[in-house]
Amino acid sequence: MNRPLDLYDIQGNICKGYGRFGFPKARYFFLEFHDSGFAREFIGKLLPLITTAETWPAEGLAGKPRSTTNIAFTYEGLKALGLPQRSLDGFPQEFKMGMKPRAAILGDDGPSAPEHWDPVWQGDRVHAWVSVNGQAKEFVEQRFSEVESLINQSHGGVSIRPGHRGPDGNLLAWQDASAVYENGKPTPKEHFGYTDGIGNPYFEGCGNNPQRLAGRGKLTKEGKWAPLATGEFILGHVDEAKEYPLAPEPHLLARNGTYMVYRKLHENVQSFNDYIDNLARDFDGSRDMLMAKLSGRWPDNGAPLTLAANDAEKAELDARMGQLKAKADDGDACAAGQLQALQARWIDFTYEQDKDGARCPVGAHIRRANTRASLETTKEAFNSPSALDDRRRLLRRGLPYGGEHGAATDESEQGIIFMCLGASLERQFEFVQQQWMNYSNDFKLGNDRDALIGANNGQLTDKHIVQADPQGDKAPFFCTHLPRLVETRGGDYFFIPSITALDMMAQGIVDPT
Amino acid sequence: MSNRSGKAYALTTLCPIRNGHEGNMSFDKITRHRIQLLEEDSGSPFARIPNTYFARLFILNDVFFEQGNDVHHDHLKSKYLVFTSNFHGDLKPYLKGMWDNANDTVRSIWEHAVAFDKVRNSDDFIAYIRKCQLTTSLFFNGSTDDELRFQLKSLYIKQAFSEFVLAHQNKSTSELRTAFNEFMQQMQSDNLNDVSWIPGQTRLSHLY
Ligand code: HEM
Repeated sequence: MNRPLDLYDIQGNICKGYGRFGFPKARYFFLEFHDSGFAREFIGKLLPLITTAETWPAEGLAGKPRSTTNIAFTYEGLKALGLPQRSLDGFPQEFKMGMKPRAAILGDDGPSAPEHWDPVWQGDRVHAWVSVNGQAKEFVEQRFSEVESLINQSHGGVSIRPGHRGPDGNLLAWQDASAVYENGKPTPKEHFGYTDGIGNPYFEGCGNNPQRLAGRGKLTKEGKWAPLATGEFILGHVDEAKEYPLAPEPHLLARNGTYMVYRKLHENVQSFNDYIDNLARDFDGSRDMLMAKLSGRWPDNGAPLTLAANDAEKAELDARMGQLKAKADDGDACAAGQLQALQARWIDFTYEQDKDGARCPVGAHIRRANTRASLETTKEAFNSPSALDDRRRLLRRGLPYGGEHGAATDESEQGIIFMCLGASLERQFEFVQQQWMNYSNDFKLGNDRDALIGANNGQLTDKHIVQADPQGDKAPFFCTHLPRLVETRGGDYFFIPSITALDMMAQGIVDPT
Repeated sequence: MSNRSGKAYALTTLCPIRNGHEGNMSFDKITRHRIQLLEEDSGSPFARIPNTYFARLFILNDVFFEQGNDVHHDHLKSKYLVFTSNFHGDLKPYLKGMWDNANDTVRSIWEHAVAFDKVRNSDDFIAYIRKCQLTTSLFFNGSTDDELRFQLKSLYIKQAFSEFVLAHQNKSTSELRTAFNEFMQQMQSDNLNDVSWIPGQTRLSHLY
C-alpha cells in the first residue's frame, strides 16, 4: 500500500488529462538552454506558474485556473542545466539516448524516419518541453506571453527552439493543439473521426473519482478492479513488482516525477477515408462498423465492440440509450440509474467472453493497447489475470492538432500530439509500440501490425483480421494492403520533475552524494 | 533423457580446443572468428547438410557462477567448441552428410580442436563427434520430426495459402473454385523438391 500522494508536489499533467477538465486548447513549445546559470534562474521564475496535481472539481470551471503550465526536460536538457554527472548517470539508457536512436524499435522507418521529422527535432538541441493548456485560446496565448517574457528576461540563457511544420508548410515556433470542434463545441474526436480519450489507467493516489476505477484499474484474482500501483506512473513509489522503480539519485530528484513520451503523429486522413470507403464495399456491415472493427470502438460515441459487435446491436444500444436519456430527462430516477450503469460499460469490460475476437477483433487498436487480462489464456496461469498487462499500461495525455483549414488530405497538417507517461519508457511505451502495435506474436497474429498506427506499407500481407464467430457460418474478413495511415513527424523522451526537484534544479543544489 | 524424439535427433557436442596460439590470436579466438564469418540463411553451410532443422556453433569459455567468492567453484580446463544440431534421421548418416557436404567448413572450424588432426575421413569424423557427444534431449521447439523437405514444403504451402486467402476474398464460388484449382496445381503438393522453401530460407517472396 502506498502512502497518500502529495498532489501539490506532482505536476498536474501527470494526474489529469486537462482536456477532460475543460481545457480543449494547448500550446507546446520547446526550449534550448545556452547558459546553465540563466536557465536555472528562468526555471526558478517559472516555478510559481507550474500547475500541480491538486484536486479539481470534475464538473464546471469554478476552482480551476484558466490556463495551466507544465515543464519537462530531455537528457540533453538536464546536462545543459548542469546536473551533476552522478545524477545524470542514474537515468535509464533509453531516456539518455532520446527518441531518434530508438527508431528501429519504434517502427519509425520510411516516411516516419527521423530525417523527415520537423526541423525542431533535427540535432540534439531540444532541452525542455513546456505545455500551456487553456480553457480558451486567448488564455493559452496570455500564459504563453507570460512565459515568453520570462524567456526574454533570461539574458540569452534560454530561447524557444522553432521549427514546427504549420498548416501551410510554414515553420512555427510552437505546436498548437486543440480538441476537434463540431458546431462550435469541443468534442473528444480525433481527425480520422473516432471518439478518443476514454481508456486510461487508474492508479493509487491519483486523486480521480473512484467511480472511474472499474475498467481502468487492474484485475484481481477475484475478478475485481483495483487501482494500479502508483510506482507504475510516478517515481519514488512502489510499483506492480512491489519495488521502487529505477531512478536517478538523489531520491528527491526523482520522487514524484516521471517520464513522458512526446510524439507528433501525422494522420493521413485522405488515405484513411479512401481505404475505408474502398474496403467498406466488400464488407458485410456499415462503414462505421468497419471503422469500429479497426479500433475496437464505434467512431460516433466510442461504444466498445464488446457492448455492440455489429450494426444491429449498435442500433439497439443507441435506441436503448435514447429511451433512457429521455426518461431520465423527465426526472425518472430509475432510468437515470440504468443509464449510468449502461454508460459505465463503455469502459468497464474485458475480452473474457470474446476470446476468438468475434466481437472485438484480437488485433483491434484498443485490444492491442490494453489487453485487459486477455493474455492469460489458461485460467490462473499468473498471480492475477492482468499480470501481463499491469506493467505495460500507458497514461495518455495527448490532444489532436491541425485540421482547421478545410478538407483534410494527406498533405494537410493534422494528427495527434501523442503524449504518454510512465515510470519506464522502455517497459511501458516502447514495449507496447514494438511488440503490440508493430508485431503480434503475443496475440498469435503473426506479423500483423496495428491497422491505425502500425508501420504498414500497403502490401497484400499488411493486414488486419476481423475474426468471425467460430460457431457461426460467416467467414472472417481480411483488411489487406493496409497503407501507412499514421506517420511520426517528431518527438522525444522527457523527464517531468516534481515541484521539489524543479526547485532544487533552479537553485543548482541537486546533490547525489 | 534421450537424444531422439520420434524421427528427430538432438545432437550436442563439446569439443575441447587446444591451448595455444598463432601469432597473437589464441586458437579459441581464431575459431570464434571463423564461426562469425560463416554465411547465414540459405548461404549457411548448415543449409547444405541434408535434413538439418536447426544448428548452432559457439565457443564455451568457462562456466559462470552467481554465488559469492567464498564458494568453491569448478572451472573448465580448456575452452570448448560447442556444436548443436537438430535433424531428421540417424546420427551416422547425418554426420556423413555433414562431412561430405560441408567439408571445408568442418575442417576450418574444427582445425584447432584437440586431436582433430587425426581425422582423415567420414568414419573418423563420426567416431570423433561421438566421443564429444553429450546426452541432452535439447530439442528445437519449432519443428516436427518430419523429413526437412517435407517440413519446408508444408511451410511453403501454409504461407502461400494464407496469401491465396487474402488475395481472393469475396470472390464468387465459381471464381474461387477456378482460382483454387489453379493454386493447387501451382503448389505441386507431391513435389517435395521444388515449389518450396530452400533450406535456410527465412523469407518468401510474395505470390500475389
Ligand atoms: C494517430 C495515432 C492514434 C490514433 C488515431 C489512436 C486512436 C485511438 C482510439 C480511437 C482509441 C479508443 C478510445 C479510447 O479508448 O480512449 C484509442 C485508445 C488507446 N490508444 Fe490509441 N491512437 C493513436 C496512437 C496511439 C499510440 C501511439 C499508442 C501507444 C503506443 C496508443 C495507445 C492507446 C491506448 C493505451 C488506448 C486505450 C485502450 C484501453 O484502455 O482500452 N494509441 N486510440
